[in-house]
This record gives sequence, structure tokens and C-alpha cells, in this order.
Amino acid sequence: MSDRTDKIREVARKWLADGTVEAVVGWEQGTYREKCSPVLVRKPEDADRLLFNDRCTNNLMTYLKRDPVRGMEKVGVVAKGCDIKSLIGLLQESQVEREKVMVLAVTCEGVKKDDGTVPIKCQACDVNTPTFYDEIVGEKVASNPDPEARFKDLEKLDAMTPAERNSFWREELDKCIRCYACRQACPLCICSRCIAEKNQPQWVETSPHPRGNFSWNLVRAYHLAGRCVECEACETACPVNIPLMLLNRAMARTVKGAFDYEAGKDPEVQPPLRTFNLDDDNSFIL
Amino acid sequence: MSKIGVFVCHCGENISRTVDCARVAKASGQIRGVAVAKDYKYMCSDPGQALIKNAIKEHKLDGVVVSACSPHMHEKTFRKAVTEAGLNQFLCEMANIREHCSWVHEKEEPTTRKAIELVRLMVEKVKRNMALEPIRVDVTKRALVIGGGVAGIQAALDIADGGHEVILVEKDPSVGGHMAQLSETFPTLDCSQCILTPKMVDVGSHPNIKLYTYSEVEKIEGFVGNFKVTIKKKARSVDIDKCTGCGECQLKCPSKKIPSEFDRGLKNRTAIYIPFPQAVPARPVIDREHCIYFTKGKCKACQKVCPTEAVDFEQTDEYVEEEVGGIVVATGFDLYTTDKQGPYPDYKGYGEYGYGEDPDIIDGLQFERLASASGPTGGAIQRPSDGKEPKSVVFLQCIGSRHPSKGIEFCSKICCMYTAKHTMLYKHKVHHGTAYVFYMDIRAPGKGYDEFVRRAIEEDGAVYLRGRVSRIYRSGDHLIVKGADTLSGAAVEIEADMVVLATAVMPQPGIEGLFQKLGISYDQYKFASEAHPKLRPVECATAGIFLAGACQGPKDIPESVAQASAAASKALILFSRDQMLREPVVAKVNENTCIACWYCVEICPFTAISKKDIRDRQGNLIKRVAEVNPSLCTGCGTCAATCFSNSIDLDGFTDEQIYSEINSLMAVGQDLFPEPEKAEGDSPDEKAA
Repeated sequence: MSDRTDKIREVARKWLADGTVEAVVGWEQGTYREKCSPVLVRKPEDADRLLFNDRCTNNLMTYLKRDPVRGMEKVGVVAKGCDIKSLIGLLQESQVEREKVMVLAVTCEGVKKDDGTVPIKCQACDVNTPTFYDEIVGEKVASNPDPEARFKDLEKLDAMTPAERNSFWREELDKCIRCYACRQACPLCICSRCIAEKNQPQWVETSPHPRGNFSWNLVRAYHLAGRCVECEACETACPVNIPLMLLNRAMARTVKGAFDYEAGKDPEVQPPLRTFNLDDDNSFIL
Repeated sequence: MSKIGVFVCHCGENISRTVDCARVAKASGQIRGVAVAKDYKYMCSDPGQALIKNAIKEHKLDGVVVSACSPHMHEKTFRKAVTEAGLNQFLCEMANIREHCSWVHEKEEPTTRKAIELVRLMVEKVKRNMALEPIRVDVTKRALVIGGGVAGIQAALDIADGGHEVILVEKDPSVGGHMAQLSETFPTLDCSQCILTPKMVDVGSHPNIKLYTYSEVEKIEGFVGNFKVTIKKKARSVDIDKCTGCGECQLKCPSKKIPSEFDRGLKNRTAIYIPFPQAVPARPVIDREHCIYFTKGKCKACQKVCPTEAVDFEQTDEYVEEEVGGIVVATGFDLYTTDKQGPYPDYKGYGEYGYGEDPDIIDGLQFERLASASGPTGGAIQRPSDGKEPKSVVFLQCIGSRHPSKGIEFCSKICCMYTAKHTMLYKHKVHHGTAYVFYMDIRAPGKGYDEFVRRAIEEDGAVYLRGRVSRIYRSGDHLIVKGADTLSGAAVEIEADMVVLATAVMPQPGIEGLFQKLGISYDQYKFASEAHPKLRPVECATAGIFLAGACQGPKDIPESVAQASAAASKALILFSRDQMLREPVVAKVNENTCIACWYCVEICPFTAISKKDIRDRQGNLIKRVAEVNPSLCTGCGTCAATCFSNSIDLDGFTDEQIYSEINSLMAVGQDLFPEPEKAEGDSPDEKAA
């Protein structure tokens, strides 16, 4: 780990010193020992603040679509394999220009949640060694041969009757306080004006009661259908622990089944809901 | 506060039979924002429209809901009426309480309630309607005619004579279609080719007609007035500019055993061939499936003999693009086959008639070729198996048609007439022979048609037997036809030398692929559907596309020609204007919230959305947004549904309008459905009166 930290610092310092990038987005030691925080390093001498360890959970790609990073000529970003999937999504959707980003990829054995457990995305990770980058640090790390294992969690949903599923979600979504942390953390929630904030007409009721909570959480999930790269940033950000990834993974599984498509794999392949073709499968129309 | 007028139509009894229209009017009058609500027996009639116009002036209405039939039916009528009263036409909406309510429900309390709900929805919508102006689009004054049979030829000639360019696309190597195959035509018995070939020559030489034979329509983009068509010119393997049509190649071609399509398999042709002597263009084509050079790699006999070096084995399929304003579809028909494996996979053949395996059981078109002076026998009636003159011929009508157990319920319309013609042609050539006809009904309405059938029976002695045939089987030199004569009640057995089946008229196999490309609808049999069966019989529901001939349903020659001229006149009407008005129901982008993800650009089926740069005065890029080209947009709404950030709205169907419609159904705390007696005396209807 410290080896990777050194190399990250070295590359970042070089990029900043020779003007390759205006700034580097990375992780630094957080206020608490067990947490790392995102940091924007602008000067070569600050590169030593950067580090990498198993607490670097944040998906830094979400900063690429925000000011001040968005306005920069060129920016470096430190990224795990899963974060790079988000970058691929942003490239597909023209939110980021490839030539404006320098990707400093880092191999990763998996990160840990705040409580020390290993997230599902790391258990079933297929990008421990990233393949899409400008520079990479760290030794090669083997991936889980069965990435489909991440859908195992959905079996408990599948086993429920529709009524049970309804009451399960009613209970979970009842907790929502509509802080929109899920949206802010999500690298692919790219709208400058969210539909939740549109009020003419107001499709999503703003107050945190069951009806509005259902609309919000379902709209969010639908807007990510075929786009969500399962980085778990939303679920990690959620202060009331709603299992948002169950929704997202259910969507991902459906999209994979229907279109044989997985988000965040190939920037050249268009997401299925983004294409129109006369030869599209119409069999679902009666 | 809006001032909306609601006008409830009884549609004679079509609506009032199941919906209490007076109550709908009263209840509508109580919806907030409704200034006047009236019901009337025929709202589309002159007095009905006058009622609307007067109400608009009297109450200074700023929106109108006509609660009547489908907007497909009368939206135009009422929009015109409100325009005449000084209101923008897009402030008029239809609440469909006929197709969506009275026709599909019983006369029950909830039916009237539903009608009231439908009115409420549209009132909420029309409150938020904006005055819109139609979009003006330039018209490309060129036509595409698909199909070079008699219908396509007539349509092409009429449009070309009207002074506009025509692109005529024919899939076969020559124009002419089925009519070129016929011997004589009913009810005059004049020679089919004699009347058709001059028209074929005209098509080939008309300065306004660009003829693409051996070609197919590959792709169609655009919309009425501005279609872009990609045509695939199949490799003919002969340069038709160099070729003089001398026919030497045909004589030398060693592959001579290919059943001729034109002679319906009664004669063989060569691999390089001109389909028939009068073909236009009279240029050969190489059938690559059978050509020895293409199958075995050696031969080139035709190339060696060709005096002008026109044979080109290297030729490939070529694609050309043409821009047209209107399209006439005249793809014609084909015949049902009794074979086990016909071209129509949905229909099984006729096992009881031997699945078309006996050479002496032929279909109507084969008989036409036998009787034709240019046919395989030179016009002599000879049976295919041994060339003997048949002493008795049995004609069976309604093979496939009117036979629900075989999958077809419709009447093929032309068979009664052509069978009568066949009996006459037969009798005129085989004087001592007997023609038997098994029929279900004789359907001969038309000028001179019934007289023609009577002549066949009375003067030419055709024996008409009302009944069907259960079985045909071979017994030595003859075919035994077992059937019933239902008029005498007797079973009939006839020893025949030849049997002619009047098989059903079907659309061209696989034609639905073209219809899908054109975006036009078709029925269960794959016949193209017209926009209105009575009032718009030659137009498709898709604007700018017209129908001619048997692609729409069974038709005889005069009908096909008449419809072709009608379609041509529709195209000429379209071309009579320099600009066309289009519905302003188009998508609009909110540039403030657009995030340039380009989902809309990718999914737009009409490529109407492009990327636009917004720059400041110094030319610095501020942001990029999507931009809709209103003349390409058809208002399908795919982009609006796809846009995450809700930055696209459809004029006339805005988010706000749809939302308020849905919301109106959830309104609570109102007495939505007052009982008739309760509501009496305080309805605005009466106050207005």
C-alpha cells in the first residue's frame, strides 16, 4: 500500500510540476484515522498529501462534473478500477472529454466500509487491475472470476411475493430523509437541474413522506438503468442506510439479461437505452 | 381564470345510446374554468359548428373542448371552426367519448362517468394549451412510385404528365407486372399486352420518368414533402447502356432449364434472359443463382458472344439516393399457392388437390399463359403434362379465398370474372370441349360484368355447378374431380383433362418489410391499410404516402388504374404547393437545463436533433446544448421521454399539460358526478341559454 502511495505522489508531483495537469484529485488522510477524504492538489509540493489505502472508498469521478474541476483545462485523477467505470460512463455521455483527463489508475485489492466489512462490489470485483488509464501504479491484482456473484444479494428480493416486496421497500424508503446525498455522491447523476427540483409540474413531491420517497428513489433508480456502474457511492453516502444497491443491481441484472450490456466496460459501446435502430428487438410489443 | 367551452356531441345515437350526453354537459359546466357547456346531436354539422362559433364570440372563450369522436375523425373540422371564430386552432382539443367510451362500453352509469372524466382531462389540458402556428416546410416536387405493374405505370405516367419527375422502382428486370402475363381481359376480351405494352414503352421513354428496374427500396428517411430514399440497384451483370438487346446471349447460354417466372414455370428460360419479348427495358439480366459462371466459375459464353461487350460479371449491387416529396406504393399481388411449402408460411396448401404436384392442376395465371399468344404454347390450349388438347376442363373458384379454415376470409374479387373469361377463351379455342365451373356465388358487379358471365354460360355453354370440390385425384390419363352440386343436391364426379384453380389474391410475399420501412400499416393478410376506408381510400395514415392497386386488396385492372390515377392526383395536389404546413407539435429544448449528454441526438428516429454551441459575443464557448430541427421533428416524443434532466418538452403535449391531466383524475373533495335531478336549475348551460 505505502508503495502505491509513494508512486501516486511521485506521478502527481511530476504532472503538476511539468504542467501536464492543473490539479490532481485524490485521497488524503481524513479527520478520523479510519477514513480518507477527497482532496484537490494544485501544487507539486502538496502532492505528499495524497495516499492510497483500503479506506479510499470515495468515487472521485463525481468531482469531474463539478466546479472547479469541470472548468479546468486538464486534470489528473487517481482512480480504482471501479471508479474508472464511472469515468467510462461520463465519456460515453459526453460529460467529460478524454483529452482533458489524466487517469492515474491504481490497482486495488478491495476497500473496506466504515465498519470494516468488505463491500459486495469488492467481493465480486472484476477490475482490480484497471485496463483504462494514462498511468498505472501497483502490482497486478487478480480479479474474482465470477463477477455475477454480486447479484446473489438479489435472491432474497426474488424470493419475496410482490406484496412482501412492496412492504419491504415501504419500510426501507420510509427512512429516507430526502437529503439527496445519494444523488450528490453519484458520479452519473449528471443533471444540472434534477427532476426532483423541477416544480412546473412537480413530478416528485419534496417532503419526506412515503409517496414522495417512492417517487424520488424510483426515479433515481430508473434514471440509472443501463448506466449505473455499481460503484456503491450512493449506498455508502446514504445516512439512513437504505439498501440502494439492491435497486441498482436489480436494474443492472435486467439490462444485462435484456441487452447483454454492462455499464462502464467499453467507452465505444453505446448504452442500450441510448440507441435507436430499426433492427431493435420489438418482440415485447404485442 | 380560463374561459373554456365544452361541446358534447351525441353523434346521432353513436354516443347518446350509451352515454347520457346532457349529463356530461351539465357536469362539464361545473368544472372550474368552464364558461359554457352544451350538448348537440351532430356537433360536426353546420348548426353544430355554428353553436361552437357563437359560443366562442359570446363568452369570449379562450379554449374549446369538443367531446365527440376521435381526433383522427374530426379534429381538423373543429380546428377550422374555431379558427373561423377567431381562436387559434391549437386551443381546440377533442375529448374522445365515442371510440374510447360509448362504443366500447355498455349503457351503464360508469360509462357516463368515464365520459365526464375524459372531458375533465381535456379541460385541464386545454387550459394550458398555447397558441401555436403551423410550421412551413418546402416540398420536394418529385415522386417515388414503388412497383411497375399497371397501377405503378399509370401513377408514374400521370404524375410525369402533370409535369413532375417520377422515380419508378421495379423489383423485376422489366416493368409490366401481372398484367403483362394475361392473355385477354374481361369484359371486352381485348388483348392485355396490346393495351399495356404501349404504356410500358411510355414509361421507359418519358422524359420525366427515371426508371429503376431490378431494384428495390432499401431505406426511407424523412417525412411528407421531404423523403430521402435509398434504392438498391441489384447487380444486373449487364451494362444496359451498352447492350442493344439483340438477344445473342440468350441463344448461346448453355443453362437452359430454368423455369420461367414470366410463364409461371410452363416454359424454361436461360440464365441470362430477357423476361419476355416486350420487356421494358428490353435488356437481359443474369440470374446469378443459376448462371454456370457464378455457380461453377467457368463459362462466360454470353460475354464471348456479346457484340457490344455489355456483359459484366464484376457488377455489384449499387445504392443510389433520391429525394422525393410523395410516394405511391403499387407493389401489387401474388397468388396463393396450394403447395405444401408456399411463399406464405402462415398458410398451408391444399392436400385434397394434391399440393400442386400434379402438372395438370394449374392456377389461373398459368392458364393465362396457356391462352396467351405469346405464351409457351403460342396460344393453343394444351395440358402441361403431355401437350394434349384437354377435352374437359374443370375450373374451381374460391381456392384459398372465402375459406376461413385455410386462413383467408376475404373474397379475391377478380376470380369470378376471370374464370368466366377462361371458360370463354377455352371454348373459343376448343370448340368441342366442355368447361365446368365450381363456384360458391357468382360475384359480377361492374360495368358489363354480369352480362359477360351470362354470355359464358348461355352462349359458350360453360357448365356452372354451385358447390365445392372435395378431392381431385389422378386416374390414368384423367383427373377425377369429386364435388357437390348443392343446387340439385347431387354428388358430382367429373373426368377432367385439366383443372384450373382460381387461387386467392395475396399481397407480395414478405411485402410487410417494405411497409415497415415506409412506416405504413397493414392488415392481418399484409395488405396495406388506407387512412380511411371510405373517405381516404388512396392515402395512408402516414402523410405523403399513397396506395395504388392490389397491394391494398384484390382489385381488377380498371380499379387499379383508377386508383393509380387517384393516387397520382393526390401526389400532384401535394406538389401544387411550394410549401407545406406541418403540425407544430414538435420538441423544444430548454437550453438552461440541457446537460449535453446527447441521449436525444442518439435516439431520435428522424435525426431531427443536433448539437449546438452557445457562445458569448467574443465567440467563447459557454456551453453545448441539443437543438431540434422543427421541420424534421415529427413530435413522436421519444426524446422527451428519454431526457433525464426533463429539458425537452413537446409543444402541445407539454409535461405540464400531461401532469395536469393526470392530476385532474385525482382531484378530491368535489362532487364530480352530480345526479341529474340534483344538478338541475343551476347549470351554466341554462344560464347561458
